[in-house]
Amino acid sequence: MTAALRRRRVRAVAIAATGAASLLLAACHGGDASGLPLRVEISHRVGTQPLQLGETEYTLDDGDALRIDRLRYYLSNFRLRRHDRSWSAAARSDSDARGYVLVDEAQPASRSFEVAGFAPGEYEGVEFLIGVDAARNSAGAQTGALDPALGMFWTWNSGYIFLKLEGRSPQATTPGQRVSWHVGGSPNARTVYLPLPRPLRLAPDIVSTVHLHADVAAALLAGEPLRVAGHEALMDPAGGAAIADRYATAFRVDHVHHEPRR
Amino acid sequence: MPRRPPRRRLFAAFALLLVAGGAAGAACWWPSRTPQLHRPAGWPAPVYDIQRNPPTAAGFALGRKLFYDPRLSQDGSIACASCHQQFAAFAHFDHRVSHGLHGANGTRNAPGLFNLAWQPDFMWDGAVAHLELQPLAPLTNPVEMGETLPAVLARLRADPDYPRLFARAFGPGGDEGPIDSQRFLRALTQFLVTMISDDSRYDRYRAGRATFSDAETRGLAAFRTHCSACHVEPLFTDYRYRRNGLRGDDAGRAAISGNAADRGRFRVPSLRNVALTAPYMHDGRFDTLEQVLAHYRSGVPDALRDEPLLREATSVGAAEAEDIIAFLQTLTDERFVHDRRFSEAASR
Repeated sequence: MTAALRRRRVRAVAIAATGAASLLLAACHGGDASGLPLRVEISHRVGTQPLQLGETEYTLDDGDALRIDRLRYYLSNFRLRRHDRSWSAAARSDSDARGYVLVDEAQPASRSFEVAGFAPGEYEGVEFLIGVDAARNSAGAQTGALDPALGMFWTWNSGYIFLKLEGRSPQATTPGQRVSWHVGGSPNARTVYLPLPRPLRLAPDIVSTVHLHADVAAALLAGEPLRVAGHEALMDPAGGAAIADRYATAFRVDHVHHEPRR
Repeated sequence: MPRRPPRRRLFAAFALLLVAGGAAGAACWWPSRTPQLHRPAGWPAPVYDIQRNPPTAAGFALGRKLFYDPRLSQDGSIACASCHQQFAAFAHFDHRVSHGLHGANGTRNAPGLFNLAWQPDFMWDGAVAHLELQPLAPLTNPVEMGETLPAVLARLRADPDYPRLFARAFGPGGDEGPIDSQRFLRALTQFLVTMISDDSRYDRYRAGRATFSDAETRGLAAFRTHCSACHVEPLFTDYRYRRNGLRGDDAGRAAISGNAADRGRFRVPSLRNVALTAPYMHDGRFDTLEQVLAHYRSGVPDALRDEPLLREATSVGAAEAEDIIAFLQTLTDERFVHDRRFSEAASR
């Protein structure tokens, strides 16, 4: 082999390796890595009051009283709708959990997050899924927000728990008056579309935020109120359907705001 | 650098060729130390996507060590292998149901473990839809290993060996270090997914490398007439949920699907290695294949309305039943149950 030939081979191998590496990186990134982030902030409420975990007892309009000890749920599949009804979707990747958010009232940081990958432009509405889509719900061992070690995974009827609402109620007939509502199962994921009160603009030089309110009372009182007595423990896909139909009504957009990006 | 004389270079090249060829030849000749997911001739494509988790020597060995390690359970007493024994084709020999923590009993019979790469969902009721997630079910069941995933990960992280073994298999990892739940489950999967049982006497007979006795030949023909509509060759199951006339309280598939029509339906099990996996049925109620055949011959009138395929099974004659049982013995894969790569000894 001549030195020139050898050099050419080395170069060819190097080019092939670089190509493979960049392909691999591209595959890992997925989605639109160049897109812009949307900030989402969520305040949880019970009627007109901010939600406080623990000792505060809330009396709902149907007379049931409830202390809430834990509120955790998944949001995913964020999309923004333009005035012409076309969509820009958040970045996703098969190799990690970007675009999937685990909101936990006990973790303030989890109520204020960024979803990446949107196109610049002006938008009139936001859509998201409460829960995890069917494809990712049975896609094997995952990481990040979808790590099954986070306690939001059913091992006996495999799939993510979309929402956990746990507390205590004087109307509950269970030991410790415990109330445990765990909703999961692909049919119980709910898509929510919310129109924005004023247009949301995404551009590289601004931070754009959608501030959501999620009202636990509104969810429980929607339609025919969900009474605590007789529903103290809803912990399978069939039982959770009642909650799933209601939690889709809990969210509204309180406001949007834009700040210069620093 | 002085140029080597051409003849020496030729010799060096030839020697290199010999070594490379020898290595390649050895790789083909000797069974690989690390089993891979291969597709036996005439089998459908596996459903597990092996590209996302290709077995490596380090990953497979780690998965095997985890499979045999009782420290995965809450009190250190129960390993996966406690109820999945290699000599029983990874079923639980002589146990109708298995006992987990503190002697607590489950309600279902532990199935054999093999050809899992072809299985679309797991458990008798199909509770788990992905092989990587399957180990979480026995791990967290209070009557099996009774542990939580975070507690297992913490124990593995504190262990003198596991962090090194995980790093060797999957790299140093991020902020959490080399051990996380995805790597834990994927290591177990590398071990489980390569457990392929495809070398029974039946397989060798099909390939023209073994002969059947007259009874076995008649048994295969009778099996194809009466049994193979559900126990479909070559995997000997159609992976569907069916009713087979057993009476009991177990909701079966309905507990997962939420559909009342699925009450009492259970996954059709593979019959490979069936002579090794007694006792039989979802609750282990029958000790022998004779009892199983007797049930199908006479015990299913209630189920016929829902499961018309059972009509074929009810028409098995007494002599045919004996032949079918003779045939079922040919589904035993001695090489698989003695493969040292899957053994507890190799895990140490």
